[in-house]
Amino acid sequence: MSLEEAISIYVQDGDLVGIGGLSFWRKPISACREIIRQNKKDLTVCTFVGGIEVDMLIGGGCVSHVKSCFVGMEIFGMAPHYRKAVESGSIKISEESEASIALGLKCSYLKVPFMPLKGIIGTDFPKVRDDIKQFEDPLGSGTQLMALPKIDLDVAILHVPYADEYGNGNIAGAVWLDDDMAKTAKKTIITCEKLVELEDIVHSPGKAQLPMQTTSAVVKIPFGAHPTSCYPIYTFDPNHIQRYLKTEFEQYKQNFILNKSNVQYLDAAGGAQTILNILL
Amino acid sequence: MTEYSNDFTVDEILTVLMAREVRNDDVMIVGVATPMVWAAFTLAKVTHAPGAIYHYIMGNTFVNEPRQVSLLYLEMNTARAYRFQNSGECTLESLPSEKLTTIEWFRPAQIDMYGNTNNICIGDWNNPKLRFPGCAGIADFSMFYSRGSFLYTPRHDTRTFVPKIDFISGVGFPDGKSSICGGSGPQCVVTNLAYLTFDDNPKRMKIGTIHPGIDLETVKNSTGFELIIPDDVKETKLPTEKELKILREKVDPLGIRKLEVLAGKEREVLLNEIIKKELAMENRFPKLII
Repeated sequence: MSLEEAISIYVQDGDLVGIGGLSFWRKPISACREIIRQNKKDLTVCTFVGGIEVDMLIGGGCVSHVKSCFVGMEIFGMAPHYRKAVESGSIKISEESEASIALGLKCSYLKVPFMPLKGIIGTDFPKVRDDIKQFEDPLGSGTQLMALPKIDLDVAILHVPYADEYGNGNIAGAVWLDDDMAKTAKKTIITCEKLVELEDIVHSPGKAQLPMQTTSAVVKIPFGAHPTSCYPIYTFDPNHIQRYLKTEFEQYKQNFILNKSNVQYLDAAGGAQTILNILL
Repeated sequence: MTEYSNDFTVDEILTVLMAREVRNDDVMIVGVATPMVWAAFTLAKVTHAPGAIYHYIMGNTFVNEPRQVSLLYLEMNTARAYRFQNSGECTLESLPSEKLTTIEWFRPAQIDMYGNTNNICIGDWNNPKLRFPGCAGIADFSMFYSRGSFLYTPRHDTRTFVPKIDFISGVGFPDGKSSICGGSGPQCVVTNLAYLTFDDNPKRMKIGTIHPGIDLETVKNSTGFELIIPDDVKETKLPTEKELKILREKVDPLGIRKLEVLAGKEREVLLNEIIKKELAMENRFPKLII
């Protein structure tokens, strides 16, 4: 299946979209560019730690709501479109912590409405989240707990180094929340650097962290996480991230997103020199 | 004999003071985009706390060996040590255990006299004047580390130290009372001007020591609330020659920690220089420090 087909079939306007990876690491950026090309609207984006992918989707006008515990550009600064959109009120956000996202997905996996956490208590989160609630341990220990609601994703979009044609995905480095996103989303799109044989997945450390039975589509896109990283193949591209921050979004869209195949994108992003820069 | 040095920069005294808080049996939690914390932990590891281990949030991995601070190749340190975990563990691995103590440094955008911190926004949450990236795991863990939480900021001014923070995303000592959830609460605030601690009963911020060359009035005027001032205000112990040499030559020779201190053009120039040097590296494993 092509990326164009996968996004067109499995991502609908208004969906709650889970995005894998963390910060500048292993983000499905090629899929995000395709979402912008297809002009999807009114998406709620949920990611553990967000960065350029959330910012791009907001810049592209695809997002109405963000659920993330952090959206920034790390050492490069703030995420400009995210910041502007929140400050102007053009998107809504759900204030999250690391645990509220991790446990929200865990609820979905366990089919329970909430999970308890011995954190968040004492913060101002309850003032801006009417869907969380402090309660006392019903089993009588007297412990105060915070109930965090479940997160049911419509679709998960994940980028991994290796996948097979059946939809088994293997991640060489940290998995973060990708496995729970894959297992709980109604539909799961995996983009991968390399299509490998099932046997290769079986012999890789961690095996199929993303299991075939929950995968809807697998699309091979080498450098599909650029300008973020995909361990163990390449690191993030600091030059491109700086370029992104210095370019008006409409111009960026013209240069790198609209009518760009993966080859044309990589050429525009610096071609062979860029690839040699980032290869680990 | 220990030789102290007067020849240091703001980032160096911050890093050295942060390193000195690490104990040999600590798990050192390295967050996202905090090279100064990474440098401090590595300095501690190769000087007085060889037994301390890293917990990298970015790879969610426990790592023993100290490597040179890197901007681009951090994953070579962390992802390689990865062991499979599911999403609950992935976040909650930082929860305090019975066996190990934890040290984590938080850098607040705003802080009040009780050590409550804000990394969410300036102004009303519904209509913020300034939206920050977010607090990540601070809301989950700030309140119950048994060793307490540790705070730092290179911007000791009345915008950071305010009478009332706009959003509590990290819990200190609520209204000066003891920390909730069984933790020890904030232990110190390391700044570019001073080393601040917390008094008992009520738990309020007080001056621990003042850095060399800084006077008491500057610290008071840079703080938006009243600090408790001890009768005898001492000067911060200077970095040693050895600490500075190891930090500059082995731990962070590219000066990546300085990105947390600098601003504007100066910062951009340094950032570009670091990127250029790192991209030119043939070996993309951050150098092992032995």
